Amino acid sequence: MIGFLIVAALAIAGGVLVVAARQPVHAALALVGTLIAVAVAYVMLDAHFLAAIQVIVYAGAIMVLFLFVIMLLNVERQPPAARWGWLRPTAYGVGLLGVVAVAGTALMERRPAPDQATVDAVLQGGSPERIGTVLFSEYLLAFHLVAVLLLTGVIAAVSLVQRPGEGRGAEALPVAALAEPGPREGEPA
Amino acid sequence: MSVPSEYFVALSAVLFGLGAVGVVTRRSAILVFLSIELMLNAANLAIVAYARQWTVTGGGHALEGQGAVFIVLAVAAAEVAVGLGILVAIFRHRVTTDVDQLAEVRA
Repeated sequence: MIGFLIVAALAIAGGVLVVAARQPVHAALALVGTLIAVAVAYVMLDAHFLAAIQVIVYAGAIMVLFLFVIMLLNVERQPPAARWGWLRPTAYGVGLLGVVAVAGTALMERRPAPDQATVDAVLQGGSPERIGTVLFSEYLLAFHLVAVLLLTGVIAAVSLVQRPGEGRGAEALPVAALAEPGPREGEPA
Repeated sequence: MSVPSEYFVALSAVLFGLGAVGVVTRRSAILVFLSIELMLNAANLAIVAYARQWTVTGGGHALEGQGAVFIVLAVAAAEVAVGLGILVAIFRHRVTTDVDQLAEVRA
């Protein structure tokens, strides 16, 4: 229980920083902390494979992509919006209300947690073998669709970031421009 | 002694609420996107918590919750790749990612 409270405090602190941090890089790093805290919560819930995936894919790959884009675009810190001054307090109020409603409803009707023997028997620690069995038998179609989606995502990302008219083939590479002899600096043209 | 699943659901609700507030109040599109990731993770946490609670019933389908979370993770990865690509493309056309200045989607 104490472990859960520590994890929850870390996750919530990270979440607050994601919403409130001035510097975008700080917000992204706070999200990394939250993601790792969520991974620890997965371990507590007997989902060990998901915890590993969470750290490797989410906290690793995805957040690196985020940090890379933040630094690439050089998002400067922004002054608070002059207009729409009512938006921020309203958002906080509505958000707090929603959280209290959902969390209160969940906590009002408590059920005892399943005993560890049952969980171990069914989930077997959420091992890759068990999850793979589920994914490759009943959810094979979903697995294939995810593969297609990832391929589409890669193609879309490349074609979106490309400048129009660029990258049609080898002639677009800067190597071609380097090989072409041109007037050098200091030489009469 | 294991922690009751309701606590995890409550934590998930708090994280989701924080993400929702971030989506509304943040002005840079990248930070809005970051808040969406927070909400996705909150949903995943709730699914994993319920998957464990489901084992009480004898657990015919308890593992499928974890399989679903795996698929959500993969979809989130694809979403981030495309979304950040769109952000970079928008930043090229209009040198800003401020959502207030991107009110009309025409780029």
